[in-house]
Amino acid sequence: MSEPQSPRPFTQSGGTLAMIRVALVNLGLSMVTLSLWRFWGRTRVRRLLWGGVSAWGDPVEYTGTGKELFMGFLMVLVVIYLPLALGFGWAQTLTAAGDPRGPLVISLLYFVTILLVAAGLYRARRYQMSRTRWRGIRGGQTGSALGYAARSLLVWLLLPLSLGWAWPWGEMMLARYRFNHTTFGDHPLSCDAHAGGLYGRFALVWLSGLGFLLIAGFAVWVAADAASIGQMDETVATGLVVVILLMVSVIVLALPWAWYRAGFYRRLAGGLSFQGARFAADFRTARLIRLVVGNMLISLFSLGILRPWAALRTFRYACSAIQVEGVPDFDAIHQNTETGPKAGEGLISVLDGAGEF
Amino acid sequence: MTELRADRPGRFSDGRSAGVRKVVVRVLATGMEIRGIDGFLIAVWKTEDLRADGDWPEMKGVRLRCASEPDARLAVEDAYFIKDALPKVDEPRRRRIGLILGALLGAGVLAGLVLSLPMASRLAASLVPAGMERDWGRNIAAGFESQLRVCEGKAGRQALEGLIARLAEGLPADRRSITLHVIDRPDVNALALPGGDVILFAGLIAKADSPDEIAGVLGHELTHIGRRHVSAAMIRGMGVGVIATLITGDASGLVASGIGAALAGAYSRDDEAEADRGGMDLLERAGIGSDGMITFFRRLEDMEGKPGMLTQWLGTHPEAGARAAAIAALRRPAPHLPSMDESQWRSVKAICSKSPP
Ligand SMILES: [Zn+2]
Repeated sequence: MSEPQSPRPFTQSGGTLAMIRVALVNLGLSMVTLSLWRFWGRTRVRRLLWGGVSAWGDPVEYTGTGKELFMGFLMVLVVIYLPLALGFGWAQTLTAAGDPRGPLVISLLYFVTILLVAAGLYRARRYQMSRTRWRGIRGGQTGSALGYAARSLLVWLLLPLSLGWAWPWGEMMLARYRFNHTTFGDHPLSCDAHAGGLYGRFALVWLSGLGFLLIAGFAVWVAADAASIGQMDETVATGLVVVILLMVSVIVLALPWAWYRAGFYRRLAGGLSFQGARFAADFRTARLIRLVVGNMLISLFSLGILRPWAALRTFRYACSAIQVEGVPDFDAIHQNTETGPKAGEGLISVLDGAGEF
Repeated sequence: MTELRADRPGRFSDGRSAGVRKVVVRVLATGMEIRGIDGFLIAVWKTEDLRADGDWPEMKGVRLRCASEPDARLAVEDAYFIKDALPKVDEPRRRRIGLILGALLGAGVLAGLVLSLPMASRLAASLVPAGMERDWGRNIAAGFESQLRVCEGKAGRQALEGLIARLAEGLPADRRSITLHVIDRPDVNALALPGGDVILFAGLIAKADSPDEIAGVLGHELTHIGRRHVSAAMIRGMGVGVIATLITGDASGLVASGIGAALAGAYSRDDEAEADRGGMDLLERAGIGSDGMITFFRRLEDMEGKPGMLTQWLGTHPEAGARAAAIAALRRPAPHLPSMDESQWRSVKAICSKSPP
């Protein structure tokens, strides 16, 4: 075979203007249909996002449909959302009546909701992977959604107990679970990334977070003092504190965090391999900040309407940064017999109203 | 014509493995032959099965699929001419019609839901077991009583309970057992709880000039209880929440509660008008007549203009003037029996004083 031995086999060549056009058309159609169009709109956006990517010279395809997303949404609305809403309503009347079972039931339901959101995220990924094709071969996501949810819950429980230090380990453990159960054709990816080398970067994040808390406490104390002896109007003082803290947080919080994220993604990509090919990525802190800040500005100033553009930028950046040493033996990879779930993503399209792409 | 039949180089994935191979594509009158570079025949695709699959910009080519081998992918170099051989599908137009039909259907279903919601919720409320409704109302009443001071003037309570028993004669037999709760709060308010609990606030008693006015308010609230308006409103609220969530996909409840509040106002106006009319019937059946109710509404109307007053009953029962007029129009001359005697009225007025006379 004469495969091009390119260390960067992925490109995303989708045009920004085409994506903005789709986003605007979706906005119009969503308004006309009381936002029911969103399932079909999201599908169109994904077609462009996936379709613009090519790997080793062949395009990636997204084969999901709006109808599947809609059916999944309806199913979850009836099977999960309604019982939960009824449960919360009942618990609220219990609480209003001063029944001690009320708060208990509410916290139990919150617990169940968190578990369901985590499971829903995993199922959404299963749907998306099963609707992703390359050279006609399907992707897939094995593993158990509830198992993933239980692991997420463990991480969330350990987080406060460890004062945050469980985060790099937990985040990497969950990512490892996701990627070890991601398949292409009849073969799984393998991921052996570990959080070990990340703790240096995380220590900086943690210490700068602590520093920020101290600065914030000090600023509030000074402002309260100034306001109490009448040097400053109370609202002016509050505004001043907020502005100063926002500016400080960019330097003290955002920069270390971006440095950590870049390290995390680099390690994650470095731990991935597939059929004899090893992945790598040169995610850089500065470019990551540019990407995230740009995406935030796009979402903010377009009131979320142009989020597909932000997603396109993310795809582009990821494709440009991912390297693959060696070419997997594609001839040995066969079609996946598993066709994936019939309906799509219901859980997460109900429980996170925002709905990512 | 010879140009059309010329062999074209291309790339082919058979959909069984993820490999790709170089092929030669020969266009025939009935379709195309795909051969390996060694000349070995790999596949024959018929014209009617061909599907366009986008462009292959780098090689100035097109991508094709075949309906009978849906997983296989073919890309042909320098082959824009093949586009002419592809069957024309009038897709955009079909899609547009589908979209319009979908939007109309969606709008129709929604309008139907919104219009039938009041009736459906009343029907559902009538199916709620009476014992459950009663427990629920008692729970809420117990919540009020545990947090606020209860007025315990014995003679006053007896007078009010006697009046309630007289008015309740007009209710269906299984809804006649009413429990009164008088709460020491300055709010000019009264509440009907599901089941059979009525809460009167001291502010309303203080505002009333005659026992007939209290009788008017009680007649109105008893009608709410008799017709299970509160349970129906709760069910309606949940229905609105579900529909709003269905449309907008916002599960945080923000949109749902906003729309719920807006629709609840519109729906509850019907309930209130019904409670006014029903209350009048109860008053006339008890021989008290509706003059007291009308005077009380007129007084509320005067209070509507003045801000800063505690007029909660106005909050849930707006447009007192219009309602007074509506009742006055229905008013029938009725034998006027006193709702209670002078000494009873004095004890009602003193029901919340710390040392009852
Ligand atoms: Zn009312």
